[in-house]
Amino acid sequence: MSKFENKLKTLDEALAVIPKTDSVIMMGGFVGAGEPTCCIDWLIQNQISGITLITNEPGLGGFGRAMLYKNGLVKEIISSHVGTTQESTDEYLKGNLKVEQFYPMGTWIEKVRAGAMGLGGALIPVGVGILDEPGLFADLKEPKVVIEVNGIKCFVEPPLRAPVGLVKAWRADEMGNLEYRLTSMNCNAMVAMACDYTIAEVEEIVPVGTIPPERVGTPAPFVQAVVKGLSLAEHDDRYRQHWLKIGKLAPEK
Amino acid sequence: MDARVLIAKRAAMELENGQLVNLGFGMPTQASNYLPDGVKVMFHAENGVFGVGPKPTASAATADMTNAGSEPVTLAPGAAIMDLATSLGAMRSGLLDVTILGALEVDQLGNIANWAVNRNGKWWPGIGGAMDLCYGTKKVIACLMHADKSGESKIMKKCTLPLTGKNCVSTIITDKAVFTVGDGVLILKEHAPGVTLEEIKRLTDAEFVVADTFGEMKLD
Repeated sequence: MSKFENKLKTLDEALAVIPKTDSVIMMGGFVGAGEPTCCIDWLIQNQISGITLITNEPGLGGFGRAMLYKNGLVKEIISSHVGTTQESTDEYLKGNLKVEQFYPMGTWIEKVRAGAMGLGGALIPVGVGILDEPGLFADLKEPKVVIEVNGIKCFVEPPLRAPVGLVKAWRADEMGNLEYRLTSMNCNAMVAMACDYTIAEVEEIVPVGTIPPERVGTPAPFVQAVVKGLSLAEHDDRYRQHWLKIGKLAPEK
Repeated sequence: MDARVLIAKRAAMELENGQLVNLGFGMPTQASNYLPDGVKVMFHAENGVFGVGPKPTASAATADMTNAGSEPVTLAPGAAIMDLATSLGAMRSGLLDVTILGALEVDQLGNIANWAVNRNGKWWPGIGGAMDLCYGTKKVIACLMHADKSGESKIMKKCTLPLTGKNCVSTIITDKAVFTVGDGVLILKEHAPGVTLEEIKRLTDAEFVVADTFGEMKLD
């Protein structure tokens, strides 16, 4: 497959790479913002179950990714948090959703970066003497490794990669160059580079040459498939409705 | 005054002109409503913003402009947006001047616990960006109620919950008092309006000394 061919696919074509059960998926987004809405809906419609989800945090309650937990489709998350949605909290406390250990958010993204950038791991001082407290994470298979570099104790954090990545960008060209908009970049650009098969859900598809090269947030060779999701206007409307519903926006008179 | 408003107002008094500031959820976020006159700061949101502005109107809100709680926000003049690795890297590497954080427990060593309680034998809800903030931020201010509903002190000799940061808290603001963290001992600086030293002694598990300047909480 050429890295520069036309990568436009339907949701069914692109997401067919995901095994029906026990898949490992890395997903972009931040507490429900900038997440691949239509890909998430597809996972639910197709009852893709036993997912190990590599995600910064579980999402936003009552919205998007949270529905994966509500439908019992996720068996484990590799994340900084489990409590940003009631749905993930419920499954976790019932023992249906595994969290082997919690990572500080900065550690999580550096593990993804290490996976993306071909590093052997990351050396991270945050949490040394706290997160390696014996017994804190009972399910840990091996104790966390600590080494000292220039007098600073650091965890040796292995890289995170996944066979499938689902990211959300503003627009893509047919070749798969992605452009992000405002804070919806979050971890999407890093996740896009840390997966073997990255599917980008975008609001708009434009001809090659439209996105100024210096505005490309994810270069095309990192992307394997581009799918058209909701439009920008549809996304804005969906988020506004949710924010009004949960009191994060005041209705206008 | 409502205890939480009191804490938010007092926390806002800690902010100084020109600082890069991260506010945690809850009472700390409210502090932005009570900035002292003439103090202009730049707010950081860990999802990737320097320069978070006020909430937009409903029709101006966009799915792509949010803060770390996924609430719609605007940008202040001079704002910058960055990816998550840059945002968290800035936190870890000491670029932030101040963070105001909610806490479950603090202790006389300046330790803070705010990411986990034990539920069904599991730690919940999780760390998020709190450990990175505690690790790197120059000044960590902890805000919490002085005691729980049954009167048990949350200002402790030694925290009992998993820590978020070690020896990192410099100032503790409660509904009863303000402490700074000294060398293994707290220094009581201020009392809330109407609160006596006796009451603070009764509600404080940590060892503390009373500052020479001890007086009523400064709220404006």
